[in-house]
Amino acid sequence: MNIFANLAFRGLATGAVYALVGMGIVVILQTTNVMNFAQGDTGMFVTYLAFFMITTVKVPYSLVLVLAIAAGAIIGLIVERFMMRSVRSRSHLSLIMLTLGLSLVFQGLAAFLFNSVPLLFPPLVTGDPVKLGPVILSRQDIVVLLATIVVFGILYLFLYRTKQGVAARSISQDEYAARVLGIPTPSIYMLIWAIGSALAGLAALLIVPRFSLEPSFMGLIQVKAFSAIVLGGMDSVFGAAVGGLIIGVVENLVAYQFPAIKDSFMLIVVVIVLLVMPQGLFGKRQQRRF
Amino acid sequence: MVPSRGRRLTANVVLVALVLMVPLIFRTKPSIIGYLNIAMLYALATQGLNLLMGFGGLVSLGHAAFMAIGGYTAAVLVMTYHVNMFLAVVAGVAGAGLFGLVIGFPSLRLSGFYLAVATMALGSSVADVIKRLAITGGDYGLSNIPSLRLGPWALTSDASRYYFFVVVLALVFAAVRNFLSSRSGRAVRAVRDSEMTAAAMGVNVAAYKLITFVFAACIAGLSGALYAFTISYLHPTNFGLTFSIGLLSMSIIGGLGTIIGPILGALFWVMLPLIIGAKLTYLATVIFGLSIIGSVVFLPRGLSELVIRIQTRLKL
Repeated sequence: MNIFANLAFRGLATGAVYALVGMGIVVILQTTNVMNFAQGDTGMFVTYLAFFMITTVKVPYSLVLVLAIAAGAIIGLIVERFMMRSVRSRSHLSLIMLTLGLSLVFQGLAAFLFNSVPLLFPPLVTGDPVKLGPVILSRQDIVVLLATIVVFGILYLFLYRTKQGVAARSISQDEYAARVLGIPTPSIYMLIWAIGSALAGLAALLIVPRFSLEPSFMGLIQVKAFSAIVLGGMDSVFGAAVGGLIIGVVENLVAYQFPAIKDSFMLIVVVIVLLVMPQGLFGKRQQRRF
Repeated sequence: MVPSRGRRLTANVVLVALVLMVPLIFRTKPSIIGYLNIAMLYALATQGLNLLMGFGGLVSLGHAAFMAIGGYTAAVLVMTYHVNMFLAVVAGVAGAGLFGLVIGFPSLRLSGFYLAVATMALGSSVADVIKRLAITGGDYGLSNIPSLRLGPWALTSDASRYYFFVVVLALVFAAVRNFLSSRSGRAVRAVRDSEMTAAAMGVNVAAYKLITFVFAACIAGLSGALYAFTISYLHPTNFGLTFSIGLLSMSIIGGLGTIIGPILGALFWVMLPLIIGAKLTYLATVIFGLSIIGSVVFLPRGLSELVIRIQTRLKL
């Protein structure tokens, strides 16, 4: 019993990682209809910048955290203003391709500027693992879990309680109607890209101490984050958060019983979910549009 | 300007002559021929993806899996079961085609990024499964795969393989071209442009989507089988998501929806790291990314756009 509680909570901590990345993807996806394949690598690149600031420039950690979020936001603004805006009217396919190109650029730049040798990134909080009843979790894991909850809360308040958030959601329903009603769509797009990419930076910075910093470290995490948003429904931040946590827990339990199929299991589940209920657990059911 | 037949014929003859002379030109540098061979195999796989994405409008982020299935099927049949190499390659192509049918089924219900995620998931799990199987060498990879044989002739030298691949490439590209200008090809393109219109015109949308997937998978499987017998080493991680994205990049950079695009894209992909040197190899990744962005934003037909411009300039 103890083992399973531990496995489940460890899984929860891993799932929080997927949830953090997934929420960033969903924020961009639900408003701009762009599946951002560069989400993970934006975060990876920001983390390299942060590593450079911590080790070479010796900036204090808390300031680095703020700077990293700002750097992510700036990257998002640039991507939206100079790449996405000019091709928005084209097909989904071109938009996906743009983000794939962007992720290659980040991977190449990171390896070129900072070398591709794996680096150890210091955690935000150090210290002995914490015992919560039968469960033992590292302090960084708890920070990631708390961050997931806080980020979800902020995003929820933003999307449902502010003018800009409501505007963003209206764009996702019908961009043309939103423009007619006087919503400044270009600036909302800028805002959404800034928030999504800032989240990418924050997420990568918080989760990198669990892995090692190298140009490809976000690859598998991003695949899992995609799985999370598919499971949770592609247009729901709540779905992405819960989907991420579910995937983390299930994956950890499966890995304990059947270590061989750890990575494939969730992927197959994702395909089945896509086929049987494409709207996911919490997404809105949509009519199929040609 | 009406293109003149005479000039076009001359240009084609010159081009064919150049292609055939390449091994003679680089006689002192056989490694170049080796890289060209790899580029041709990639071009083959990319042509499949191009058929799927450029002409069929279906995304695949798991295309490397078809190559893996073709390659592993052929290699295992030859090495473990001592099957004739030609039959093994055919089996590899068939195996990839069968898997294409399996992956094709989600495409009937999904489109856009839903399909992208589904193919990504299926593609990544193929690499993962191969890694766990004993017969495929698992995590150690499959090494010492015998070299390519064509009946009684063993194609051991790079130059002999070069000529063989040129022939294979020409045949496959001709087949794709003929397919696209046939009734079925027009149906496939109609489905890409508007499923509803195509269906209203009496096109069986589901059947043509599956046909495109199977055809694309077969071509990639052929590429994978030939790759196995050329490199004589296969490893599952070489066929993961990264390589699928690589194939996608080649088809985008070369130009989606053009017949020559895959060749240009694959040549660019293989040759650029050689040109800028081993020290700056990471810079190549940056350039690839920028080329994709540039292709999407400025040149929707990628490098083929340049070729088409040269053609009009020379009035071919």
